Amino acid sequence: MSQPSADTDARSLPVRVDAEVLENRDEGGGNHHLCLRVPDWPGSAPGQFVMLSAGARSAVERTDPLLPRPMAVYRQSGSVVEVLYKVTGRGTALLAQVRPGQRVRTVGPLGCAFLRPDAAKPAILVGGGTGIASLHELAAQCAEAIEVTVLLGARTAEELMARDDFAALPVELRIATDDGSEGHPGVVTELLEEMLAEGGAPGVYACGPTPMMRRCAELARAAGARCQVSLENHMACGFGVCLGCAAPLAEGGFALVCTEGPVFDAARVAWETLP
Amino acid sequence: MSGATVDSRVTLAGIELRNPVLTASGTFGYGTEFAPFLDLRRIGGFVAKSLTLKPRTGNPPPRIAEAPSAMLNAISLENVGVEAFVGEKLPALPDDVVVIASVFGTEIMEYAEVCKQLTGVPRVAGLEVNASCPHVKSGGIEFGQDPRVLADLVRSVRRATDLPLLVKLSPNVTSIAEMARVCEGEGADGLSLINAVQALEVDVETRRPVLQNGLGGLSGPAIRPIALRMVWQAARAVDIPICGIGGISDAADAVKFLLCGATAIQVGTANYLNPMAAGEIADGIASYCEDHGVGRVADLVGALESF
Repeated sequence: MSQPSADTDARSLPVRVDAEVLENRDEGGGNHHLCLRVPDWPGSAPGQFVMLSAGARSAVERTDPLLPRPMAVYRQSGSVVEVLYKVTGRGTALLAQVRPGQRVRTVGPLGCAFLRPDAAKPAILVGGGTGIASLHELAAQCAEAIEVTVLLGARTAEELMARDDFAALPVELRIATDDGSEGHPGVVTELLEEMLAEGGAPGVYACGPTPMMRRCAELARAAGARCQVSLENHMACGFGVCLGCAAPLAEGGFALVCTEGPVFDAARVAWETLP
Repeated sequence: MSGATVDSRVTLAGIELRNPVLTASGTFGYGTEFAPFLDLRRIGGFVAKSLTLKPRTGNPPPRIAEAPSAMLNAISLENVGVEAFVGEKLPALPDDVVVIASVFGTEIMEYAEVCKQLTGVPRVAGLEVNASCPHVKSGGIEFGQDPRVLADLVRSVRRATDLPLLVKLSPNVTSIAEMARVCEGEGADGLSLINAVQALEVDVETRRPVLQNGLGGLSGPAIRPIALRMVWQAARAVDIPICGIGGISDAADAVKFLLCGATAIQVGTANYLNPMAAGEIADGIASYCEDHGVGRVADLVGALESF
């Protein structure tokens, strides 16, 4: 395959189920790892996400916080779906209290996946913070066919998510930490800049904080490389009806992160007005 | 209890519904978005996203925020426009799904024109006029906040259509009973209430409103008792039927609105959290009736007992 192609036609219809918690582990550094058994899970493509309601786990439903939280599918195998998250507010704090055997209402898989990489070009995946979780499925899939480099960034080595899982994949893994406690001392986009300087017109796939993705977009454009980003946003539904997750587009107007994304060609995004 | 022996049918403003559960405008898209989750024939029908004459883009983000047991939104009524709704959205729906079209405009003429264009379209069972939009000529006050402006609006749309006409009332008023009587006097066939409650949320770190628009509409379980009170007051003020809306999350919530005088109800924000909610509520109302020896759902309407 020489041209990237959309996975949208192959997208599975989402399900809404009360998933059983198999494991919900505090991995230190603020990182948590949730394993769910999702009955009737139809399978997802790299970059898709689920909506999780931690409050909907008992007979009396909790309504505060009200909205479910969008979470990238980190890994999937059969009906087991894994999610990585950090406790950043009341919703994720509640999610961290959920114990094995309890239920979490799950809606998914949702959203558009990453376009399949060009088989003739190497792939560079850039993940920062919790954005790392969106890239594992893509890294695993790409590594079967092409040369893959994964660049992961965090504030500190302790806060870095999923290092060991990526290290177990047949990919070249490079780390950057803001405090220099592991790998390159500095931001992860400095590693991307180095790699793009070597040429080879790689495909760039990024997920992380907005400034990180914006910098990836700039670097890729300057190097003539195609860049896909997976955006985050608050959303109430995840399937295109609340219209809350609008992201501004370079061509004008807005796109819904939930149904038109979360994966976008970086050149389509109006980075200067993205909140 | 399955509720299979219960007669769930109700008639709202002349529209026959297989059960009293509709979904609220703006929370159910154009219906097809829910196809993976819910057979639309399980519910009474749905109210589509509010339509304007021309397609309309929404506000810049952030458009939504959370509050205790509630959310705020300021989408600004983004929609595909009446022409695309009739040409593309309606034909995509399964047969025998009751569709009520929601209408709004920035001036009365626009409301009337959209109503005209929807009249005679075979799939449109009725119209719901969204009276909670800012009226430009009145300096941004909602149509539904001034009884004279509301009367002008209802009179104009009444002349524009012979379809069953519901008016969706704003809760941001001093007397909901007065607004209800105004609509009845101008020929509305029914009332839908309440729309979202005007609200503000602030970020103390940035010291700015959370929403780019500043103000937003509050919805969700937090507003349910306010909505229930207003439905009760409106039901005592008029003889036309009422569709109750506001924070309905389960069948018990829905039954409360029926008891307070609503003929039917609309599920709103709950559709976001649980895209199967409306179907579960429809089944749950029938089960409630069976469990309580009520043969017809219609018998619950206005059956609130006093102390």
